Amino acid sequence: MRNRADLVIYWGGNPAECHPRHFTKYALMPKGKHLPRGRKDRTMVLVDIRETKSVKAADIFLQIRPGRDFEVLTILRAIVKGQYVNPAMVAETGLTIEQLRDLVDRMKRARFGVMFFGMGLSMTRGKHMNSSAILTLAAELNAYTKFVAMPMRGHGNVTGADVIMRWTTGYPFGISFDRGYPRFNPGEFSTVDLLVRGDTDAALILGADPGATMPQPAIDHLARIPTIVLDPKVTHTSRLARVHITTAVTGISAPGTGYRMDEVPLPLRPALKSPYPTDEEVVRRIHELVRVKPDWLVHQPRTTQQVF
Amino acid sequence: MLRITGGRVYDPANGVDGQIRDVCIADGRIAAAVGDGARTLDASGMVIFPGGVDVHTHVAGGAINFARAMTPEDHRRTVAFIRTQTQRSGLGGMAPTTFATGYLYAGMGWTTLNEAAVPILSAKHTHEELRDVPIVDKSCCVLMANNEIVLDLLENGELERAKQVVAWQIWASKAYGVKAVNPGGVAAWKWGKDAKQLSETVEGYRKLTPGTIITGLAQIIDELGLPHPLHLHCNNLGAPGNYTTTLESMKSLEGHRAHLAHLQYHAYGGDDWNTMRSETEAIADYFNAHSNLTADAGAVLFGNTVTITADGPWQHLLYKLTGRKWGNLDVENETGCGIVPYTYRPSNIVNAVQWASGLELLLMIKDPWRVSLSTDHPNGACFWRYPEILQLLMSADFRRDCMAKMSEEAKRRIRLPELDREYSLFEIAIITSAGPARALGLSNKGHLGIGADADIAVYNQDQDISRMFSHPRYVIKHGEIVIEEGEIRATPLGRSYVIKPQYESTIEEYLRPLFEDCYTMQFENYPVELERVEHAELRNCIPAE
Repeated sequence: MRNRADLVIYWGGNPAECHPRHFTKYALMPKGKHLPRGRKDRTMVLVDIRETKSVKAADIFLQIRPGRDFEVLTILRAIVKGQYVNPAMVAETGLTIEQLRDLVDRMKRARFGVMFFGMGLSMTRGKHMNSSAILTLAAELNAYTKFVAMPMRGHGNVTGADVIMRWTTGYPFGISFDRGYPRFNPGEFSTVDLLVRGDTDAALILGADPGATMPQPAIDHLARIPTIVLDPKVTHTSRLARVHITTAVTGISAPGTGYRMDEVPLPLRPALKSPYPTDEEVVRRIHELVRVKPDWLVHQPRTTQQVF
Repeated sequence: MLRITGGRVYDPANGVDGQIRDVCIADGRIAAAVGDGARTLDASGMVIFPGGVDVHTHVAGGAINFARAMTPEDHRRTVAFIRTQTQRSGLGGMAPTTFATGYLYAGMGWTTLNEAAVPILSAKHTHEELRDVPIVDKSCCVLMANNEIVLDLLENGELERAKQVVAWQIWASKAYGVKAVNPGGVAAWKWGKDAKQLSETVEGYRKLTPGTIITGLAQIIDELGLPHPLHLHCNNLGAPGNYTTTLESMKSLEGHRAHLAHLQYHAYGGDDWNTMRSETEAIADYFNAHSNLTADAGAVLFGNTVTITADGPWQHLLYKLTGRKWGNLDVENETGCGIVPYTYRPSNIVNAVQWASGLELLLMIKDPWRVSLSTDHPNGACFWRYPEILQLLMSADFRRDCMAKMSEEAKRRIRLPELDREYSLFEIAIITSAGPARALGLSNKGHLGIGADADIAVYNQDQDISRMFSHPRYVIKHGEIVIEEGEIRATPLGRSYVIKPQYESTIEEYLRPLFEDCYTMQFENYPVELERVEHAELRNCIPAE
């Protein structure tokens, strides 16, 4: 990226405000081995539904109609392959056919193209279908030039959680252990759905503030059940929780590993000492106390666990 | 303390070929004798092998973890490991989870493995995953042949400085050996190009060729005296007609030690997919005559798997061929990788040639000490299918039965029908344990001599070879019984073997500005701290004079 990407496309994200170091440290400003003039050697395209602070950094801003990402991506794929495009469909996207052709032309001419996509793409109408479309577009562009796509992740060490869940369970999120082994079904086992349906009778919240971001029925349920929050500061969720345990700030007063959005691990070395325990220590002590209780699996009939 | 009595012992490194004798264990090692108070296992009617060693597998790190994310449909239909008081939950299948990986390896009698591809930049991730692979001992190879700092030095002929950098990088990644994948080709892939011929200049360089990278690295590794030689994944993997590239690579290695990874993928003739055929004979002939080389088979079995390799350009080709899912990861300045799920089918002539080629190499290479069993897990097949390959090697009739289902056209392109050799149990013990342990330079593994690590697999003697090797009666790791009649009894943490080659401390001053120029992280954050490697055990290098 730093050394090669001469076409950088941000789609459905606002890095200027949400990932402030992304331009300067990672993708846009740095001078690279094969891009000695840094920013001057790159073209930046921003695709979004509204003008954000990131527009100032863009060479080309493409404003599309809300909820039309999937259509735009599919039309781009058609243009890449030189197929017929229905003008009526183009008109619905809020862009002109010239703008789209120009973008495809730039994509094919790039030596190394990259698309970063944010939650404006992956969490709006179409959801995972949108992510799938942008990844397919990137894959198909490799018939012409080198092209990659990468998600812009949310707050905290979400990539780290994702990575570790994958190696221990095979799945990134939305995992149920209720049969004694990991099962995956987003929409059924993902946190927000469990809470909205009221399926859980306790919650342990670590490194997140669902009280600020989740839909009201989920928040109401968290307030109803015993909720425990581990956080260095008081959050919206701690206010509705039964227990709040103050922990040391990872990276400032607690050591650990952070995973960058591109899954590169970085060691976190604490600069300060904290009077509070680390998240790890709290979870370990809770686990030690839970461990001495009898194993509930032993008392379950084995047959129900061997479905597959 | 433990005594195993009455079993037939196969210990090729010490010349023991199926004699009935006692094996004694004290303090985690093989001992001459133990006292009367020792527990005794009656192994009458059973065979005793040194624990299996896998010289080339992919079980931990960014690439296999990406494959796990890409294949939830496989996780659903696979074996689930249910949590008990001794074992963690997990999933088997094409890309098993870390805990399941340890249980599955130990569950068939394998006790040591070598993770074959680690980029320095994400070595911390690999070591964190390896820590979660229980029971087995581990080592890993760091990827070097597309590292831009090393390539620049080789381009300028600065071999001495390149040696210092390589030594520093091995220690920085806490690796055990050096792996070269498609030398120059992965660097070229960052421009969407490949490097197919050894004498072609690598894209983006003036005169550097894959050939100079290979000889340069092999020489450096010999001079540093690493216990495991250069671990080479040759250029032009998987392509029809690539055997000439492989022969050239082997010739360029004359005078140096080298280990050729998954040789099966590099032994094809023909001009395109329609004319592709096996050229294992040419490869085996050259290999047999040159004792500086070792190899692992990279055998293929029919069925579903997911292919992952640092060979990015090849994976893009495979994606275009199959139209299935494709994941691509580029690791800045060092390497890249691609991931594509794949199904090998006997009705597909190319797949049939691949299946036969792996077996042909194992049968045509005369010295079993120099060829190890591998499937390049998960690329050719999953490691837990090794017993099926052992059955194919031990029974020519079984091979003929399998070939009966193949088309006449496929049979014309392979040599397997002509091969009658059948492996003995003694030879199986060599290719699964003694040989790979020797290739890795692990003197305490792969044999049952006094002082060796007490890693032992005890199998019921059985006509059904596949069943015999799938279900050991006992598996002993470091003197502790970990598997007993299919049940996991204990899940101790294995050790990690790490090498510290000698380098001049001034090399950091040279590296730092280069690093800050082209990487996006701080130099201090780059090396893996030794404390982050669980149960690390340092092994020595013996530098050449």
